[in-house]
Amino acid sequence: MRKLSIILFILSLGLKVHGQSIPVKRDTTRRLGEVNVEATIKRKIESDMKMAVSVDEFLASSDNISFIKRGAYAWEPLLNNMSTERSTITIDGMHVFGACTDKMDPITSYVESNNLSSIDIKSGQEGNMHGATVAGSIDLKRRSTPFGLQQKIGGAYQTGFEFNNKQAFNLGNLFYSTDNFVADGSIALRKAGNYYDGNNKEVLHSQYNKLNASLGLAYKTSALSAVRVDAIFDRAKDVGFPALPMDLWLSRAIITSASYKQLFEEGLVKVWDTKVYFNAVEHYMDDTTRPENLVHMDMPGWSTTYGLVSKINLKKDRYSSEVQLNAYDNLSIAEMRMYPQDRSKQTMFAYSWPWVTTRFVSVAMNNSWEISDRSKVNLGGSLGWNYNYSKYVEFNWIFHPGAPQKKNRWLPGIHASYELNLNQFDISVGTGVGHRAPSVSEAYGYYIYNSFDRYDYIGNPDLKNEISYEVNASVGFKTEKLSVSAKVNYFYIDNYIIGRILSLGSPMNYQSVGVKGYTSLKYATLFNTAMSIDYQVLDNLHWKAVLTYARGKDDEESNLPFIRPLSYQTALHYAYKRIGLRTSLNGDFAQTNYSPAYGEDQTASYKIWNLSADYSFSLGKFKSVFQVGAENLLNEYYSTYADWGNIPRMGRNIFTSLKVNF
Amino acid sequence: MKVSVLIKTIVFYVAITCVFLGSCTKGKTNYEAERGSVVEEGVEFKEVTNVVNAGYTISIEALNGVLYRGYNDIRVRIKNTQTNTPVEVSGVTFLPIQTTVTGEKRSCPNQYNFSYKSDDKYFSGYTVFTSESGSEGGWEINVNFTVGGQNFSVIKEVLVRQQTNKNLNMTMFTGKDDEQYVIALISPKKPNVAENKLVAGIYKLNRQLDSSPKGFADQLQFSYLQVERYALKLDPRMPEPSMGNHSSPNNKDLIQDTDGLYHGVVNYTMTGNWTLNFILLNPDGKVIRGTEVPKDFTPGVEGRKSELYLDILF
Repeated sequence: MRKLSIILFILSLGLKVHGQSIPVKRDTTRRLGEVNVEATIKRKIESDMKMAVSVDEFLASSDNISFIKRGAYAWEPLLNNMSTERSTITIDGMHVFGACTDKMDPITSYVESNNLSSIDIKSGQEGNMHGATVAGSIDLKRRSTPFGLQQKIGGAYQTGFEFNNKQAFNLGNLFYSTDNFVADGSIALRKAGNYYDGNNKEVLHSQYNKLNASLGLAYKTSALSAVRVDAIFDRAKDVGFPALPMDLWLSRAIITSASYKQLFEEGLVKVWDTKVYFNAVEHYMDDTTRPENLVHMDMPGWSTTYGLVSKINLKKDRYSSEVQLNAYDNLSIAEMRMYPQDRSKQTMFAYSWPWVTTRFVSVAMNNSWEISDRSKVNLGGSLGWNYNYSKYVEFNWIFHPGAPQKKNRWLPGIHASYELNLNQFDISVGTGVGHRAPSVSEAYGYYIYNSFDRYDYIGNPDLKNEISYEVNASVGFKTEKLSVSAKVNYFYIDNYIIGRILSLGSPMNYQSVGVKGYTSLKYATLFNTAMSIDYQVLDNLHWKAVLTYARGKDDEESNLPFIRPLSYQTALHYAYKRIGLRTSLNGDFAQTNYSPAYGEDQTASYKIWNLSADYSFSLGKFKSVFQVGAENLLNEYYSTYADWGNIPRMGRNIFTSLKVNF
Repeated sequence: MKVSVLIKTIVFYVAITCVFLGSCTKGKTNYEAERGSVVEEGVEFKEVTNVVNAGYTISIEALNGVLYRGYNDIRVRIKNTQTNTPVEVSGVTFLPIQTTVTGEKRSCPNQYNFSYKSDDKYFSGYTVFTSESGSEGGWEINVNFTVGGQNFSVIKEVLVRQQTNKNLNMTMFTGKDDEQYVIALISPKKPNVAENKLVAGIYKLNRQLDSSPKGFADQLQFSYLQVERYALKLDPRMPEPSMGNHSSPNNKDLIQDTDGLYHGVVNYTMTGNWTLNFILLNPDGKVIRGTEVPKDFTPGVEGRKSELYLDILF
């Protein structure tokens, strides 16, 4: 019985990773026991440098993720140098939408590293399993303990302190596992003060305070089926955004789901996994901490989503397939209320998201055939229906008279790739076409202030679908000690949506300089490339390096904003007995292809040197690790191409952490 | 046993979710109530006053049963006092007369000949009272009508009150042509953060009027004339210093329509105080009154107003 549970778990692991570019190889023998789990490469949530990282820091170690940073907290992840409208970000396949019009709450800010097991990043149309996308998908996988572990109760506790911003954190997780019942729980607390830049100057309004808790309960209903309920509660309070004219007073999210999973021993269908979910996010900004502001303003936002994800996995001989149904209903509301200097007078009110409902249903399929032992073909497609309804459409009519209150869009997407393995070489080529609908802000946003270019943004309900045509290729070379890989992708995006200055209207937010409307460029192009090397110099010495470059242009051959300049990361890891030493260097070259039209200025190059050491030991019968290190050891003063308002990044930061597994 | 644990935990979960759902930290704004809090829209016609004369009851109706300074839609019903049934009436005229403290008699922009609405058996017209009852003098209404070839005339004093709905504001001024004008807002009574159809009446004092005391009603009915083929250029802005002279897009100047009134479009981008800055042009395109206002965004500075403007609030 226990054995079967373990198998069940292993299978579930395998299936979770199945979506990744390396699908799990499984034999179709009747016995589930022969599931091959070699490919269950779950990336642990820790970076090369630090074992106690935030979700943002972890994502940053991926070569196709970059960030827009508005402070020390809640970084907006850019996938393939495209902002979050162009990617789908999900938690275990569940769609969650931030409640902040200024994108101060990307979904990644509502989870914590100790309730995640891995992050699944897929580039381009390969990522359309969870919904229509252009850039790809980021799926945050939650931790789930298998049934019937030998150790019934266990967990980990991690604590640490970072000196630069006096961040103290405590992360704990616990599990309880029996043959047919599992409980998982985690709690995380982080509190940080203002950080100091490379000139040892305090960056005001960069503090944060976060609480995250999660609970998951699973019950095995039969030998081959299980139900599971999950919940994440996240609360961030008093979070400073130095690049914005206001801070966050409070944001709360509750993310819940109930799922049912059925395995099949025989037949084409192997697994059927269905989940219903609900999540609610509330986000309240606060400018009372900024007495320099001319206008006091309230900007609350709410986002509520109900959804369904249902997935089956099929396999027969050399063919395997995944079919997924997604459906969700989201209501996004954002208000702004401005107070006149004379508070006894009438306040001024408007919706920045006028109660916008988005309904989305998609069916996606991904098939792969192993045509020989060395080559494989993947073919996938998705068809989505996107419906928007703006309750107070009269707001949208001010700039777009007569725009429809309801809008239906069909969003097809297909992709194909071919993978070939020639001795030590792995080669793959792929292509894809996909549509995406404009986001709530792009279609229905109303005077959303963007403090980067200092414009108020107006959505356009009549925007056309963005259509992306992409090609990608990768080459890898692998020996026992060395692995080298190079990846390129190129996107040609029709009707690329971006804000353009409007000659109409005048700003509403007093800091802004004008009004921009979301418009479609005829097209834009984006090119991303990454090279990486992994080399096992000695048995205990390991070197790694990544070089990335990207270029984005609009239809007039001008630069697109937020495109990462040539950048590099290199790290050396040395292990000796119980001691591990790591050092890394990362940086960007000067940003020469910047975009003044979109509010960018040239950003100088920078390099950051980091160093850390860890020591593993036993604390009684508990396995423990202690780590101490320093980021930005040389205390370089810098800001990156994507730092809003060119706010300086953190200077030298000494960090310590202790992890105890029990 | 374990199933019950599971059920209990699920129940616990659902309870937590419900608590959370029911308790957003800050309540959402009730948008309908938000607008209603400032503007009370009168939707029902009620009797303002009535006069009984020769067996007929003459009833004057207005929205909410109140006459305000500015534009008023007015209904007149004439009934047989005994049977309380509508009578066959023709030639209903309506004339407001203001008697100033010096004893001078004046009228105001007004529809003299009321039109008959057969469905509901009343006579309909409008009046733009140029002042409230009070120190400037009181208002009387003179109604004439004909029943069976016989003319009747009644006079009744009425109370004209201050208009609290700024969206029905009015202004009186002397233009560059030395003529005296009245501009009164008619619609929207209750604006939205939206495109709003803006309707105004524009009237001019009739100076050719000879003020012989005899047959004053015949004279006074022409005391104001609706101006023809003028244009009213519009530039709406929020005057609040913090709003930095904020304006809105896609507004349309007011031009005369077949109903004689002036129609345009005003967009309000948010609730609050707005100023409608006007420039009045005569049919030759000459400025009668009004000045261009600065278009710059000037946070912290109170918006400059045109010399011809109306303040509104919603």
